[in-house]
Amino acid sequence: MPSTGLPLTFILAGLVSLFAGIGWVLVRPAILSTYHYNQFVIAATHLFVLGWVCSVVMGAMYQLVPVALETKLYSERLAKIHLLFHLVGFAGMVWMFNVWNIKQVGHFGSVLVVGVGLFVYNLVRTLLRVPKWSVTATAVTAALGWLALTVTVGLCVAAGKCTYETADALPASSPVGALERGLSAVAGFMARFDALSAMHAHAHLGGIGFFTMLIVGVSYKLIPMFTLSELQSKLRAGLSIVLLNIGLVGSFVTILLRSPWKLAFALVLVAALMVYGIEMFAILRARKRRAIEWGIKSFLTAIFLFAPLSVLAVILSWPGLTLNAFTGQLENLYGFLGIIGVISFAIIGMLYKIIPFLIWFKSYSKQIGRAQVPSLADLYSEKLQIVGYIGFVAGLGVTSFGIISANAIVVRIGCSFFAVSLGTLAVNVAIMFSHSANPRLKPLANRNPATPARL
Amino acid sequence: MTTNPITETLVLETLRQVIDPEIGCNIVDLGLIYSVSISDGKVSVIMTLTTPGCPMHESIAQGVQATLLGLDGVANAEVEVVWDPPWHPAMMSETGRALTGARNS
Repeated sequence: MPSTGLPLTFILAGLVSLFAGIGWVLVRPAILSTYHYNQFVIAATHLFVLGWVCSVVMGAMYQLVPVALETKLYSERLAKIHLLFHLVGFAGMVWMFNVWNIKQVGHFGSVLVVGVGLFVYNLVRTLLRVPKWSVTATAVTAALGWLALTVTVGLCVAAGKCTYETADALPASSPVGALERGLSAVAGFMARFDALSAMHAHAHLGGIGFFTMLIVGVSYKLIPMFTLSELQSKLRAGLSIVLLNIGLVGSFVTILLRSPWKLAFALVLVAALMVYGIEMFAILRARKRRAIEWGIKSFLTAIFLFAPLSVLAVILSWPGLTLNAFTGQLENLYGFLGIIGVISFAIIGMLYKIIPFLIWFKSYSKQIGRAQVPSLADLYSEKLQIVGYIGFVAGLGVTSFGIISANAIVVRIGCSFFAVSLGTLAVNVAIMFSHSANPRLKPLANRNPATPARL
Repeated sequence: MTTNPITETLVLETLRQVIDPEIGCNIVDLGLIYSVSISDGKVSVIMTLTTPGCPMHESIAQGVQATLLGLDGVANAEVEVVWDPPWHPAMMSETGRALTGARNS
C-alpha cells in the first residue's frame, strides 16, 4: 500500500476545492440559475470536476485499486509527480476559464494532461499485476481509457477555440512550428462540430466514462465488503459495464453530431443503470449486516439519484427538443444532479470510509496487539455525519427547485444547506486528523512485559 | 508467582482484544480464527479475514502475533492467513452477530 500521505494530500486538495466551489455558488448563485454556457459556469464546473471530484477519486484510486484488486501500486514516485501536475493544471485551468483566456486554459490543460498520462500509465501498470481479473478490474480499465479520451477531447475543444496566426510564419520543421500547425489542424477539425455539442460530448465522456464507470465498477467490490454481502450475479454486473460502454460510445458520437439517435443510446445507458440498480438491490437484500452506516447510506442515496437523472437524460435526448429557457434550466439540473447529486454525494459517503481508514492505518495499524485501538467508526462523530446527510439532501432538493425555477435566491438558500452539510464534514475530517496528531490508545489486559505498549 | 498454562481457551480469550477496525468486532467472535495449536511455548494460529485483499491484512495478522507474544509463557507465535474456506457471516458467534447486528440467515 502506498504511504497514506499521498492519498490524503489528494483528498485534502479535493475538499478545499469542494468548499471553495460551494462558496463560489453561494456568492454567485447565477452560476446555476442561468444557462450554463458561460465562463463562470465552465470555471466552476471544472473546479468541482477536476479540483474536487478528480482529486479525491485519483487519490482514492492510488489507495483503493491496489487494495480492491489485491495487488500493489506500480509507482508511488509517479503518483507524487502526478499530484504536482494535477494541482498546477486544474488550478490554472479554473483561473483561466474564469477570466476566459482559452489559450492559457490550453496550456494549463496540457499540464493537467501530463498528470493524467502519468496516472493512467501508473494504474495500467498496476492493473497488469492483478492476479485475478474481475468485473471491477474491467470497469477500472475502461474508466482509465475514457479518462484519457475525456482530457484529449477537452484539449481539442480548447484548441478549437483558439487562433493560430503565427502558424504559417514559423518553419514547419521547427518544433514550435510543427506544434502550431498541428493545433491549427485540430482547430480546423473541431470547427466541423457545434461548440456546445462538443462541450456536452466531452462532459459525458468524463461524467459517464470515468466517474459513473468507477462508481458502478467499484461498488460491486465495496458495497458487499461494507455490508457483509456478496456479488449476486456476475452476469448482471458484467452486463451493466458492457451496456455502459456501448451506451457511452453511441452517446458521445450522437451528442457530438447532434443526431436524433442520441435517444437510443441514452436508453442503452438507462438500461445499464437499471441492471446496476437491480444488482445493487440484490446485494443489499443478501447483506448480513442489518444496519447500514451513514456513509453507505449517502452512497446509496447518490446512486438512487441515477433514477431522476435518467428521466432527465431521456427528456433532454428527445429528438426535436427545442432549447428554450426552461429546457436550458433542465440541462443545468441534469449537470447539477450528475456532479453534485450522484458523484459528489457518493464520494462524500465513501470519504467516511476512506479517510478514517487512512488515518487509522497511519496511527493505529502498528498498535494492534500492543494496545486497545479504536475502530474506524470511533474516528468521527456519527451525529454530525447525520446532520451533514440531512443538510446535503435538503441542499439537493432546494437547489434543484431553484435551478428549475431559475431563481438565484432559492439556489443560494439551497447552497446554504450544502454549506451546513460541508461544515459538518469539515469538523468530522478535523476530528479524524486529530487522531493522527494525538492517537487514543488504551492498555491491553494480560500483557507480557516483553512487548510493551507504545502509549 | 505462577503462570497460567497456555490453552486454546486462553488464546481465544486473549485474541478477543484484537478487533477488525472496519467492522468494530473482535476477530474471534467474527469467526476469523480457524484453528489454534499450542506446543512447547509456541502458538500457531490459522486465520482468515472478511474479504480477500482486505487493507487491514498485514496490520491484523501482525496484531495477532503481537497479542500472542504478549501472553506469559509464549516464546514463539506464528500466524497464517488463509482464504480457503472463505469467510462467511455464518461463521460468526452469537456474540459476533449481536455486536455487528448481523442476520442469522
